[in-house]
Amino acid sequence: MSKLKDFFKGFKEGMHSFGSNVTAIINSSLLTIVYLIGVGLTSIFAKLFGKHFLDIKLAKKKNSYWSDLDLKKKPIDEYYRQF
Amino acid sequence: MYVLGISCYYHDASAALLKDGVVVAAAEEERFTRKKHDISFPANAIKYCLESQNISIDKVKYVGFYEKPLLKFERVMSQHLEMFPLSFKTFLSSTPSWINEKLRVMKKIRKTLKYKGDVLFIEHHLAHAASSFLVSPFKKAAILTVDGVGEWTTTAYGIGEGKDIHLMKEIKFPHSLGLLYSTITAYLGFTVNNAEYKVMGLSPYGNMNKKTNPYYGKLKKIIDIKEDGSYKFDMSYFVYHYKDRMPSKKLCNLLGGPIRTAESELTQRHKDISAALQSVYEEALLKMLNHVYKETRCENVVIAGGCGLNSVANGKILSNTQFKNIWIQPASGDGGTSIGVVSYIYHTILGCKRNYQLKDAYLGPGFSTKEIKKFLDKNKIGYSKFKNDKDIIKTTAKLVHENHVVGWFQGGMEWGPRALGSRSILANPCNPKAQDLLNAKVKHREKFRPFAPVVCEDDALKYFECDEPTPEPTDFMLMVYQ
Repeated sequence: MSKLKDFFKGFKEGMHSFGSNVTAIINSSLLTIVYLIGVGLTSIFAKLFGKHFLDIKLAKKKNSYWSDLDLKKKPIDEYYRQF
Repeated sequence: MYVLGISCYYHDASAALLKDGVVVAAAEEERFTRKKHDISFPANAIKYCLESQNISIDKVKYVGFYEKPLLKFERVMSQHLEMFPLSFKTFLSSTPSWINEKLRVMKKIRKTLKYKGDVLFIEHHLAHAASSFLVSPFKKAAILTVDGVGEWTTTAYGIGEGKDIHLMKEIKFPHSLGLLYSTITAYLGFTVNNAEYKVMGLSPYGNMNKKTNPYYGKLKKIIDIKEDGSYKFDMSYFVYHYKDRMPSKKLCNLLGGPIRTAESELTQRHKDISAALQSVYEEALLKMLNHVYKETRCENVVIAGGCGLNSVANGKILSNTQFKNIWIQPASGDGGTSIGVVSYIYHTILGCKRNYQLKDAYLGPGFSTKEIKKFLDKNKIGYSKFKNDKDIIKTTAKLVHENHVVGWFQGGMEWGPRALGSRSILANPCNPKAQDLLNAKVKHREKFRPFAPVVCEDDALKYFECDEPTPEPTDFMLMVYQ
């Protein structure tokens, strides 16, 4: 009885591990396509037009790196949004 | 009215519960799951908060979350777009958690808590600012928040007055003092988002003289600090904006060697690097604070964000700036934002009057004598019962004086990372061997790790060169003096 129990336990764990591996492979494949086509093409076109998504260049001639934020109380509806 | 605040999915997940303006319970998830800096949804911490008030989730009017997830996702996508194709590996490893967890916060709250009420999302640095200002003793104060990164902001300053907070200026990702500290932490072989305090603790063993410590000049090459404390990095020394590690090869070359492996010996070079980092951090922080004073003309200052836990730098603020009073909350890192969220919703958004000041950190679970006795009996742990507090104090003082080490457990658990006398290890501060003994035999950790002596406020000036009057954050072990 206990051997049968162990067998099913092992079988369940094996199936779980198999499922995880399949998920990882499918996820990676789909994400690779998204990355190459979605991110890649957008990035290439943006660079062609001189658009930058991160401010990574130093500007030593500037007197200050502070930028305006102006974050203060807004109407409550604004806080229901996740952006 | 109850308001529940939640912080999770980055590091130090936590929950806080506010009742009619008073924070009645708060705890970090790691204390229940025993996973240090646990990032998972704080189901256990929430359960504790609700049970402490004997209420169900239906009684909670608002649930608040400590950031705007979509804004943060925008920043993450911007990193991938900017750094294509170098960011491929991190895109593959991080995107599933965004799809499965981080962008489904609302669903998680509804499903896990069975909550049907309103969920509000507060900007990360606003939650930090509120976590310090709205529970501080000040009606008006300058506010400085410094951490790794929120949505886009890494550093911000502004002013708090009454119930309102106005964050005026910011510095944006990828430039971040918190991430600089984490990068050098990684370089020194410690874990990021965990062991930054170890680097701070290591720094006094290094050369703190800026002129003779060669690493100070080297670190100044990678950061341009302006007179107003604003700063920007030369990003060629970093890879954290597109890789799952932090220092670049160029930074390793600059600092004269590869990343230290965790098991290898800490040399004087490593200590000097940590000293140089602490010097650079302090320089930026103090310049920033002097600028904030000029802009706000306010004598009170509150600090929040993970960098607010840098107690060595905090101890230098009042003597190096024009601020007269300072306040920092005990969990000034991301864990503390759940308190910020509840306070911001109740006071700022709903406009309810401020009627609470966070005077102690004992917001976590506590246990009655009966419960403790039951546990000890069940686990067959020997114990002695004392008649009154006087007896237990006398016996403990005698044991400590005889250089014994005492585990001290009383009242509610501390809020924040520091052991503040509720769950503490006590040893004799007059014993020169106490630090080595505790590090080696009790805590099994590095030799250099410090302990904080406890001293009555009246005697503090006799033994330490501290600010007078002693600032309140010293109660939370957030200011270090010599």
